[in-house]
Amino acid sequence: MRYRVCHTTRYEYAAPVSLCHNEARLTPRPLAWQEVGETALEVSPNPSVLQSRRDFFGNEVSFFSVQELHQVLQVTASTEVETRPRPSPPASANRDWQQAVRHARGKPALRQFQLDSPFVARHAALARFATPSFPVGRGLLDAVNDLNQRLFDTFAYDPEFSTLATPVLDVLHARRGVCQDFAHLMIACLRSLGLAARYVSGYLETLPPPGQPRLVGADASHAWLGVYLPTWGWLELDPTNGTWPDERHLVLGWGRDYGDVPPLKGVMNGGGSHQLAVAVDVEPLGA
Amino acid sequence: MAAIETLSTPWLDAYRPAGGHDALLDGQGEVRQHWRLLLKALESLGHASLSSRADEIQHLLHDNGVTFNLPADESGSLRQWRLDPLPLLITPSEWRFLEQGLRQRSRLLAAVLKDIYGPRRMIDEGVLPADALYANPDFLLACDGLLLADDPGISLHGIDLTRDAEGRWRVLADHLQAPAGMGFALENRIVMARALPDLYRNAPLKRLAGFLDRQQQSLAALARLNRDQLSLALLAPGADHESYFEHAYLANYLNLALVEGGDLVVRDSRVWMRTLGGLKPVDVLLRQIGDAWSDPLELRGDSLIGVPGLLQAIRSGGVGITNPPGVGALEHPLIAAFLPDLCERLLGEPLLIEGVERHWCGRGDGLAWALGAFESLVFQRLDGDLQCIRPGTLDTEARERLRQALVAEPARYVASRVPAGASAPFLDRDCTTLLPSTYNLRCFTQAGFDDERNFHGYEAMPGGLAWQGAPGLAMQASQCVKDLWVMADSPQPHVSRLRRSRLPLVVTRDGMDLPSRVADSLLWMGRYGERLDGRLRLLREALYRLMDQDQEGIADETLIDLLPLLGLDRDDETGATSRFAADRERLMTLFQDGHPDALPDLIGRMINNGRAVRDHLGDDAWRVFNQLRQESARLSQLGPVGGRRAVDTLMTQLAAFFGFCNETMPHHYGWRFMDIGRFLERAQATLALLRFALLDAAHAGEALWEVVLSSSDNATAYRRRYRSELHPAAILDLLLFDEGNPRSVGYMFKRLERQIEHLPQPNDTPYRSSEARLLIRARAALHLADLEALAQVEEPAARAALAALLEALEVPLAELSQAIENSHFSHAEVPRQLVPMQAQGDA
Repeated sequence: MRYRVCHTTRYEYAAPVSLCHNEARLTPRPLAWQEVGETALEVSPNPSVLQSRRDFFGNEVSFFSVQELHQVLQVTASTEVETRPRPSPPASANRDWQQAVRHARGKPALRQFQLDSPFVARHAALARFATPSFPVGRGLLDAVNDLNQRLFDTFAYDPEFSTLATPVLDVLHARRGVCQDFAHLMIACLRSLGLAARYVSGYLETLPPPGQPRLVGADASHAWLGVYLPTWGWLELDPTNGTWPDERHLVLGWGRDYGDVPPLKGVMNGGGSHQLAVAVDVEPLGA
Repeated sequence: MAAIETLSTPWLDAYRPAGGHDALLDGQGEVRQHWRLLLKALESLGHASLSSRADEIQHLLHDNGVTFNLPADESGSLRQWRLDPLPLLITPSEWRFLEQGLRQRSRLLAAVLKDIYGPRRMIDEGVLPADALYANPDFLLACDGLLLADDPGISLHGIDLTRDAEGRWRVLADHLQAPAGMGFALENRIVMARALPDLYRNAPLKRLAGFLDRQQQSLAALARLNRDQLSLALLAPGADHESYFEHAYLANYLNLALVEGGDLVVRDSRVWMRTLGGLKPVDVLLRQIGDAWSDPLELRGDSLIGVPGLLQAIRSGGVGITNPPGVGALEHPLIAAFLPDLCERLLGEPLLIEGVERHWCGRGDGLAWALGAFESLVFQRLDGDLQCIRPGTLDTEARERLRQALVAEPARYVASRVPAGASAPFLDRDCTTLLPSTYNLRCFTQAGFDDERNFHGYEAMPGGLAWQGAPGLAMQASQCVKDLWVMADSPQPHVSRLRRSRLPLVVTRDGMDLPSRVADSLLWMGRYGERLDGRLRLLREALYRLMDQDQEGIADETLIDLLPLLGLDRDDETGATSRFAADRERLMTLFQDGHPDALPDLIGRMINNGRAVRDHLGDDAWRVFNQLRQESARLSQLGPVGGRRAVDTLMTQLAAFFGFCNETMPHHYGWRFMDIGRFLERAQATLALLRFALLDAAHAGEALWEVVLSSSDNATAYRRRYRSELHPAAILDLLLFDEGNPRSVGYMFKRLERQIEHLPQPNDTPYRSSEARLLIRARAALHLADLEALAQVEEPAARAALAALLEALEVPLAELSQAIENSHFSHAEVPRQLVPMQAQGDA
């Protein structure tokens, strides 16, 4: 599939801002199944400094500073992306999940995805919640699919419920949240069992209800997760939709949790209170 | 040195080391050779003299105030930290070993730093477990790849050591994020040299000056851009931090600007300081704030002491910084546990100074070792606050919980065995007895550079701090510190405290580079000082009257008016006898904490502003400041008589403080702001007093006019000049119009105008600033007033004219304060985070 992604963030301040420094992680990550074409990051007012680098996880980060007095900051990232189907893990990857835990233990590169991270702390209650999906001897693939499905089936999507930093235990208790919460929760469950799991930030093309036109800008940032399958690699799972991500899931980047890959963050001087408006448009370009 | 003789001195009578290694006595119980000189000196000083020297040391320490800054101390006084007159001696051969070991440790940690924030080979090769980074809260992902290739990585390193009972040196901890203690070490040395000059001058000990001299050079070498005149700054967390005084002291000694995060701003990928003269570039930062707090954009978003964008400025080469953010990872015990292996692998040599025996419970037989020796070990959770948990000190239940947690998740713990310490001689508080005690040391190394700014290795400071206590006791928790004397083979020349700088000197006279925050604090220090002075004078008058009232048993009308003037309520319901008690009680509330106008509160506010500008006050002024603080601490226990005396003392101390400031501060911008603060406050208070005494008071009249004169200390001047009864016209002339009288509003306006004329004009306009215009307005109102028409204060017309005049003076003064704020202290608002976005996607 080919898409044009356009992600606009607009901050309106009650008082003028004299200076702001920002970091954007808004460029999709080139992958074997994701080709990233022309990208552009437009910032208004014009930033005096704009520099790119790769972060610890290899995601592209754009740093920019707006140094002139402003009351509105608008950041628009637009990219053309072409996706192909992700490879599926072979049946051999479906080995005993506890074997996978033992296998992953010795891999330094996986360790950071097994330990606690700022938004995701392991806990016995999380392991207990996950256990029905992970009986002794079950294949890892079956187990994670089951957990993914359980989250989809038993948790309510509720944008009113969560804030940016809703603790995973609260989400577990209330059985509701948004994609970010479900991703965090499932990562926390997997890590509590000793598996390696990472947070994936991206977009999802939303399909209009049958018979209705596509609404421009009505899409949103999306989040899901990856779990490491020994000898094969990272398998992505989308508990918000109870599916495996497909060609409609566009990957921006990944990290231990949301805190490693926020699409945009910044610190400003001045401004008073401010309002945030985000519009994401994932426009299919046809074949 | 004379041939070995058996030294016997009464000092040794009570000295009985536990049996392990002792610094003073060798295995045979004989005094070690290098201590003989010192013992002989003790002997010849005698107890009495030694005790007075020890007192002198405490006084000097207290006056300089470079001890830990612990405002939490309720008494308001600095904690007494005892400096033992007896230094800890290190022999030349001991030092040769230590020096080599310390330098090696810095080299090693720099190599580890480059690896963990670079290729992470040590993880891949299995030398270091991945948990040492990923379970380590101080391993900061944002700092990955932050170091430039030619950066030495670590340029200032504090190392804690102890000596174990077998006499082996052992490293206990590394300090890299904000290595503290160098200022104390320096200060201890200076104090020792003053208090024990004979001992100090003749001792063949290594001097510290050279090391510190080179530190400035070492900082300058980190500059990324080649500029002729480098600007170096010490980035401190601010006046509330326990090490603030040390920061101020070091900044002064090393000639660095003392700045806080709010003084700095990143623009164009460079770091700038907000000064009165606008933004000034900063080339190198000596960082004394924790890693995680350094940059609210990329690190902890809730940091108010950091500089947004700092990491990117470092990455872009816009500023040199030491130590670079991220070094805190190396302070972690799990890395310490693997240093012997890392040293072999990275440097190809054995680790010279061992650490303590320490194992990670997540690998190999670490858990078995930890369980086997469970109760004698210290445990630390890797991902927590690294607090030391000692099973030996826990109750049975807590101990079992710890054991279970350890077995369930061994990888979360590291266990260490703290060695039994060796002993060294410490003098007791009375300086009568020499007692053996365990001890810790803090030593320092720094990166050295040649004249071409090429890094050429680490050097160790030939000295440091020693403190009494079991191995591992925190320096702040110790009762007694010692200077560390590294003995030389021959006497060393004394080096002047004022070093010759190797950097090109920038001769500046204007003080334009004064941080705006400092100017702001100086202004408020002046204001609160003056407010305190005015309050004291009125309070003194009230106390006099209170005591008269007591003796004569009659009510004094003036007191009725004085109470509201002092911000106190008064209800008239009570009878005459109980009224004395009630008045007394009300007045005495001003000696207690809590009332916003009470003395301790005013003193506290003045001190807080003064502390924030410690590096701009002279040592004499600072000494008076400390006395003021002590006086304040005892106010709450006083009665009226003691209170009145304390009021006199405080007034004298205030006068001395501002006197020293006037005599010793360069009369540049900083001083001008302080002066503006004082005279702005004084003018407002004088106008308020006049308004009250002449117009508003319930019992206006001579008694109150007298208070006005005495409280401005002008009663004598009045009598000398007018030799007459009190008359409102004369009072108005003396306190409003007479520009030659420093207590008159006219004089204060003139002085304010002169000071404001000399302030920098940020916008550089040819027009008068709004501050200058406000003052012209006020002075014109004063000059145009008709004294004759005002003086008949009994007449309604004169009262109205006087009220109008006072208002015409008060309004521009009130606006003046805001105008100064706007023109000069426009420190940008506190940086805040943008509301972050949440990923909300559904289906």
